[in-house]
Amino acid sequence: MINLIADLGAGLLTRLVQIGQALLMLLQAIFVQPKASSLPRLMQQLFVVGVQSLIIMLVSALFIGMVLGLQGYTLLSAYGSEQAVGQMVALTLVRELSPVVAALLFAGRAGSALTAEIGLMKATEQLASLEMFGIDPLHRIVAPRFWAGMISLPLLVAIFSLVGIYGGHLVAVDWLGVYSGSYWGNMQQAVDFNEDVLNGMVKALVFAFLISWIALYQGYSCVPTSQGISAATTRTVVYSSLAILGFDFILTALMFGGAV
Amino acid sequence: MATNGIINIRNVSFYRGDRVIFENLNCAIAAGKITAIMGPSGTGKTTLLRLIGGQLQPHKGQVLLFDQDIARLNRKQLNHLRARMGVLFQSGALFTDLSVFENVAFPLREHMNLSADELYNRVLLKLEAVGLRGARDLMPSQLSGGMARRVALARAVAMEPEIILYDEPFAGQDPIAMAVLQRLIKGLNSQMQLTSVLVSHDIAEACAIADQVILLGEGRVLAQDSPAALQASADPAVKQFIHGEADGVIPFHFPALPLQEELRGQSK
Repeated sequence: MINLIADLGAGLLTRLVQIGQALLMLLQAIFVQPKASSLPRLMQQLFVVGVQSLIIMLVSALFIGMVLGLQGYTLLSAYGSEQAVGQMVALTLVRELSPVVAALLFAGRAGSALTAEIGLMKATEQLASLEMFGIDPLHRIVAPRFWAGMISLPLLVAIFSLVGIYGGHLVAVDWLGVYSGSYWGNMQQAVDFNEDVLNGMVKALVFAFLISWIALYQGYSCVPTSQGISAATTRTVVYSSLAILGFDFILTALMFGGAV
Repeated sequence: MATNGIINIRNVSFYRGDRVIFENLNCAIAAGKITAIMGPSGTGKTTLLRLIGGQLQPHKGQVLLFDQDIARLNRKQLNHLRARMGVLFQSGALFTDLSVFENVAFPLREHMNLSADELYNRVLLKLEAVGLRGARDLMPSQLSGGMARRVALARAVAMEPEIILYDEPFAGQDPIAMAVLQRLIKGLNSQMQLTSVLVSHDIAEACAIADQVILLGEGRVLAQDSPAALQASADPAVKQFIHGEADGVIPFHFPALPLQEELRGQSK
């Protein structure tokens, strides 16, 4: 029994040390005076992390919007309220599905790639070699990737919502015949910029922070072997997904739970 | 106690968990010479190189570089010191997203304010010295292992450092690449009046170019002498390593129970 408690305590302490190390890594990476010479590196990472994630986001958003349009129409038409499908699609997307699904896809596509890339840089001694050239790998490698994640995900979430709403329109209006004016008009009336759109963007920012932080720390601290990199990549996807879903509940409760 | 080198290791102890890598290690590396650090696998040769480069800190003792204790330097001072030092990593450690030219140009762009022409000429001359001027536009993935090592060597000497550290430069190289690397290391050392520190367990190749050898084992310096003196040494550990004898004072077997006790179905 005492051994069990000791093991639990040791496990907890190890986790706390890891969180502390991860926090220190992030603080050292991001609290640095920006230089003009860093801009090309940020642009390159914006392309890798953001632009290259665009296709998977567009396709997923279109299908999710179409499913929402179809499900919404089926449910609402039972009560003769199919004209409200536009507001249902938009609210579901901007409040919940866009930030959460886009973040999950981002963790799988960009987060895992970041971990693997940095892990391989560690295994091939590229990080050590930067250090020996007098360049801090945290500033050179970690910082641009972190900021690229923070900028890309909110933009991808906005695009996700737009494409999803058009996907809903495609099914509800173009296929099932809901009046286009009702689709857009109800949406305009129901969606509040501050409460819905901005709150969705706050979620996107929080998720971007969590994914970038987890992915970069896992890559930077991984055991530099093929097995170590593979395990770190898996941890990035698992931890990021759990963090996204857990924080989504907390944020939803804080943002929309006031009436309860 | 050795104190007369450009690099001085004084009473250094270093541990990995409970495992002792070094206990009160003392040695000095002379300026302008090629020093080979040798020893069986796992004796901490690469660790010693990382202690010299300031990538690891000793748990006890001092590593003095140009008479400065590197553990006491702040990051700026350490970076300043590192600019006087080149490292050839075991894997080459070329930046995979940069071409051969850009890899060699990298430290120059970061630390020196050269004009475009000066930079171009300097990179080309360094690549010419390693015989790879014609490969300047290739990417690291297009290079063979030996070529990558030579590009890494050109990059390590691009800043014209005073000390150069080589981590297993001959490992995994074919005989031709090995001979080329040997010639380059020797040539660069004499042309640029470098201090070269070479970690290797390729005895013949390292001894052929080294001025002195530091033999590590059991967490300490087993011997420090010229290659010829070590070849003639009567010390059992030195003899065993230099002549490649399988078992002796340096055990071949990792500590374990006697074989008879471990085999299944054997009567005790």
